[in-house]
Amino acid sequence: MFAYALRRIVATIPVMAVVALFVFSLLYISPGDPAAVIAGDQATPEDVERIRASLGLDRPYLVRFGEWVWHIAQGDLGTSIFTNLPVSTMIAQRIEPTLSLMVITLILAVGIAVPMGVIAAWKQGTWIDRSVMGFAVLGFSVPVFVVGYLLAYVFALELDWLPVQGYTPFSRGIWPWFQNLILPAVALGGVYIALIARITRATMLEVLQQDYIRTARAKGVGQRGILFLHALKNAAVPIVTVIGIGVALLIGGAVVTESVFAIPGLGRLTVDAILRRDYPVIQGVILLFSFTYVLVNLVIDLLYTLFDPRIRY
Amino acid sequence: MMDRRSFLKAGPGLGMTGLGIAGLAAPALSQGAAARTLRFVPQANLANFDPVWGTQYVVRNAAAMVWDTLYGVDAQLQPQRQMVESEEVSSDGLTWTFRLRPGLKFHDGEPVLAKDAVASLNRWAVRDPMGQMIRAIQNELVAVDDRTFRWSLKAPYPKMLLALAKNNAPCSFVMPERIAKTDPFQQITEYVGSGPFRFIREEWVPGAKAVFAKFNDYQPRSEPASWLAGGKQALVERVEWLVMPDPATAAAALQNGEVDWWENPINDLIPQLRRSRNILADVADPLGNIGALRMNHLHPPFNDVRARRAVLMAISQEDVLRALVGDDESMWKRLPSYFTPGTPIYSEAGGDLLKGPRNYEAAKKLLMESGYKGEPVVMLVAQDQPITKAQGDVTSEALKKIGMNVDYVATDWGTVGSRRAVKTPPSQGGWNIFFSWHAGADCINPAAYTAVRANGDGAWFGWPKSDEVEAKRDAWFAATSLDQEKAAMAELNKAAMEHVIYCPTGFFTFYTAWRRNVSGIVKGPLPFFWGVSKS
Repeated sequence: MFAYALRRIVATIPVMAVVALFVFSLLYISPGDPAAVIAGDQATPEDVERIRASLGLDRPYLVRFGEWVWHIAQGDLGTSIFTNLPVSTMIAQRIEPTLSLMVITLILAVGIAVPMGVIAAWKQGTWIDRSVMGFAVLGFSVPVFVVGYLLAYVFALELDWLPVQGYTPFSRGIWPWFQNLILPAVALGGVYIALIARITRATMLEVLQQDYIRTARAKGVGQRGILFLHALKNAAVPIVTVIGIGVALLIGGAVVTESVFAIPGLGRLTVDAILRRDYPVIQGVILLFSFTYVLVNLVIDLLYTLFDPRIRY
Repeated sequence: MMDRRSFLKAGPGLGMTGLGIAGLAAPALSQGAAARTLRFVPQANLANFDPVWGTQYVVRNAAAMVWDTLYGVDAQLQPQRQMVESEEVSSDGLTWTFRLRPGLKFHDGEPVLAKDAVASLNRWAVRDPMGQMIRAIQNELVAVDDRTFRWSLKAPYPKMLLALAKNNAPCSFVMPERIAKTDPFQQITEYVGSGPFRFIREEWVPGAKAVFAKFNDYQPRSEPASWLAGGKQALVERVEWLVMPDPATAAAALQNGEVDWWENPINDLIPQLRRSRNILADVADPLGNIGALRMNHLHPPFNDVRARRAVLMAISQEDVLRALVGDDESMWKRLPSYFTPGTPIYSEAGGDLLKGPRNYEAAKKLLMESGYKGEPVVMLVAQDQPITKAQGDVTSEALKKIGMNVDYVATDWGTVGSRRAVKTPPSQGGWNIFFSWHAGADCINPAAYTAVRANGDGAWFGWPKSDEVEAKRDAWFAATSLDQEKAAMAELNKAAMEHVIYCPTGFFTFYTAWRRNVSGIVKGPLPFFWGVSKS
């Protein structure tokens, strides 16, 4: 398995190269001009042109791409056109809030959704099952920002239990850190919970029809043991797969959630950079997201072997 | 489908109004520290911090805290001495000699010297329209001694003090010489000023937070503060700029006491904020803004002045302003002028086409006379800017009424920013119309008002060309008395309207909102942090 993991890690290099080419080319052909944003609305075309030249944006595609790749190969993501700060520094400033939000959301979602799905499958056709599925439909249907506003209204403005916005670093204490993340995590987790709960229910229903489950029942295994030891473990592969796929959902959802709750994370950094056409930042963040996604998929693939001994790499 | 803006407006229906705040969410600061820290939500993200390199208003606003100016414009729109103790102008008006106040210090402890002012003016003059005019007639700009510098010219420049005092970006902020020697088209990397607040670079998270601390060695003038002039007394120890892209979040944070002052709440949220007894809201800047429909003078149909006049006849400023600001008529007014209403030399001369009821038939006839044959009129409308979106949505309908084949291009501001610089025909990636707006403070006179220029290739986007307009503008610069200025402004407005440099879509203002425990907030073209305190 170690050799497999190593092969997969090496295989990320061409994947990242394709992502890099794609991202750079897409930004190159997309309309917009950071020089115009920098110069301000009242600037003359000549001012814009001179700023563009000073930023090197007037150079040919291949020259710019070659230079960027050369720096990436040396571990240098470049410098933000606007802030003059290294992209790696900007990412470092923003990664903690986003990671914190994603981890809390992930724990919350898995902790709620998996038991919900299992119970819904167990109680198939009952009001419990319908309630879980109704919640899942709601989770899919209601936009993150609506959930966010409602949560902020109820729990921050009306009840005054939690802050409306912002982020407190983990280094300033667990509770201050956690209280800023509760509402965003709940808002962001809705879709994720719905997704995992539905797939858990569907997979569990399938597994619960299997012969070995009937055998286990015949042997006198209790309901809890059947559900969580025999059935859930065998249903785990698709659930884990969905959890992995859901990371992409989280990344996308973080963009909106961070805006609604004014969390200074990578999602907002991405949006700001796109609106301003801060190419090095966009490229750096997308590379990071892509790399994260590739790694998550690798971890998911490796986890398969834990849940299903028949899978060997 | 409900979008975020609709959801915000539905707030009252959801009971999100009148939120009698029973108690404030626990702030992260202790009470003492909280009273010394002013938490401010700016209009936009402070993405860079070089007020000469980047001329966005948000950069100018932050820069005014950190860098001082030689002169400052006051609330009466008059230039007043700020870092300068005295000035002398020779009888022929060709030599200006300035003397700095004693005891001025930069934030790094170094004294402010004449050589710093000279280097700063040199950098500023490359980028600023008035600075460029002075450079064009400059003999030399030199430091005479540590506190004196001299600017000698080849021709008189009566607006010298206004150029050094104006609040239009870029302002002539004074930086240490080593920083001011940076190429004006490159970004500075040190943020050392001599203003009443220091920039705390270590706490700067672009897109999220910028922090300013009181500069204890600042030497305020003895006069009362008035806009950028007078004694700039910092009454709080620390100002935190907290960037909040979402208006609903900013509103909730203000209601919850998590921030103290929100620079520009959207008008939709004002009724909700006003229902809170802890919040005050008022017009932010009485000089307001002027909406602009910009036409491309290089290509048909707007290379013919009759087509441009047809647009003036068709546009209903009232419709635009209601869509943009709402039905509160105290917040907007029709504007048959290119200049800021209510200011000393304002003129409506030549603005008749924008007055009275709209005459679509006459406009249609004039458009046909211009030779328009129904070709697509490419209209760039940035959807991410409520101001441009409202203008685009309303005017596209008006132009369709006069038979214009409007090609409405819904895009974002970044794309408009680059595409408007394209001079090729609209069918080849160019454009016919885009929308923008100008701060009223920039439109008091032609000094820094690039949008009213008509010098062809050198003009603002749309590239209008009219020697007459340029001559009238020059006449204003040459004016040496208020009466002369008024006459020149009337002539300029008339000529610009006749030539239709662009189509003004109306005058409008916005609000600012703050918590009741904050005092000293002054109406003006930018948020002034000196004189603001918090109990």
